Amino acid sequence: MALRDWDLWGPFFFIVFLGLTLSWSASVKKSEVFAVAFALLAAGAVILTLNVLLLGGHIVFFQSLSLLGYCLFPLDVGALICMMENNVILKMIVVCVTLAWSSWAAYPFMSSAVNLSRKALALYPVFLMYVSVGFLTIAID
Amino acid sequence: MMSGGYTSIDNQKVSGSVPAVSDPSHVAVKFTDSNLQTFPPSGAQGKISGGTQPPHDADDTFSKPAGGSQPGSGEPQGSGWFRTFTIAAYKPYFDVDTSDIIDRLKESLFPFRGTFTEKTATNPDLYGPFWICTTLIFVAASIGTFVTYIAHKLKKKEWDYDINLVTWSAGVFYGYVTVVPLILYVILKYFSAPSGLVQLFCLYGYSLFVFIPALCLSVVPLEIFRWVIAGVAGFMSATFVALNLKAHINSAGERWFLIVTGIFLLQLALAVVLKLYLFTVTV
Repeated sequence: MALRDWDLWGPFFFIVFLGLTLSWSASVKKSEVFAVAFALLAAGAVILTLNVLLLGGHIVFFQSLSLLGYCLFPLDVGALICMMENNVILKMIVVCVTLAWSSWAAYPFMSSAVNLSRKALALYPVFLMYVSVGFLTIAID
Repeated sequence: MMSGGYTSIDNQKVSGSVPAVSDPSHVAVKFTDSNLQTFPPSGAQGKISGGTQPPHDADDTFSKPAGGSQPGSGEPQGSGWFRTFTIAAYKPYFDVDTSDIIDRLKESLFPFRGTFTEKTATNPDLYGPFWICTTLIFVAASIGTFVTYIAHKLKKKEWDYDINLVTWSAGVFYGYVTVVPLILYVILKYFSAPSGLVQLFCLYGYSLFVFIPALCLSVVPLEIFRWVIAGVAGFMSATFVALNLKAHINSAGERWFLIVTGIFLLQLALAVVLKLYLFTVTV
């Protein structure tokens, strides 16, 4: 399946793009915003993968990094839209939709990797990371 | 390769180091015989030329110690200090199911039971502490941001997102859960009531769980309400840590009261610091 041909260029591009978009949207402390976003996403992907491995799941490290990076694409689109909009309500709707899309994309991979009794333990951190990125997108204006 | 030296051994099939036993009563004698036979006199051993050259493969099996003759024995899992960097070293601390985690979270909400350490003594987990801290960082940053946002909008003032909230709360929570149990571990060892380090991490991690609902409730813009929430949450968390630790270190002698009180006050101080930093809004 396509997952076997993992690559890290896509995730790298998406993470940098998201960091740049958030940084452009910020009115103050732009470089800090980029740094926090980049660190959060990159470290988050690694930690999520380690989490699944520690729970006894069966995934390949780089496949997982690759997938989590590609699943950021909806959030990238959302951040781009939010950069151009200023209405808070609209931003919240856009972020909610893109967040649901990202989670829906990452869900099958993550849930099939672990034991059934630990599925929620593996999925919760994914959800947490996407929600925190979504929150950053809404809050930065 | 067999040399002429072998043929002088009488009639034994020498395969490896164990000679074929044809006569049990003579085993010992024959074995030493064969040893002597395969090592020609030391003077001739180094010389390549000459009559008896020791067969190379037999030399390997006879001259090296037993360890060398088992090339396929395999290595144990890496050298000692490398193991802290492998995933397998930490797997036992993540051996929990969803139901276990939910049980432990519920347990942390009832500080007066004091049974948490018993339940986690055999299977302390690091999943709970780590993800509770991470969730707390996110909740603290978002609630703190939301509170300042509302305060500014109510007074129609300009508001900018302060990214430092995220980094500050990350430092506070991760630092607290890492450093305080380490110091406590050292102190307990000094007073000869040792507790496992992972159990202490586990205890402190779960004790922070009560702050999540407390932070969510603190959105209400009443100052007195926020202080009450902070006080109640701090008290519950501190009692949780203190009672669970007290049950364990009662045997430490007369110092236990000091230690327990110290931890209690420290946890309360954390609650106060949180309240002051996150919810002091100057518009």
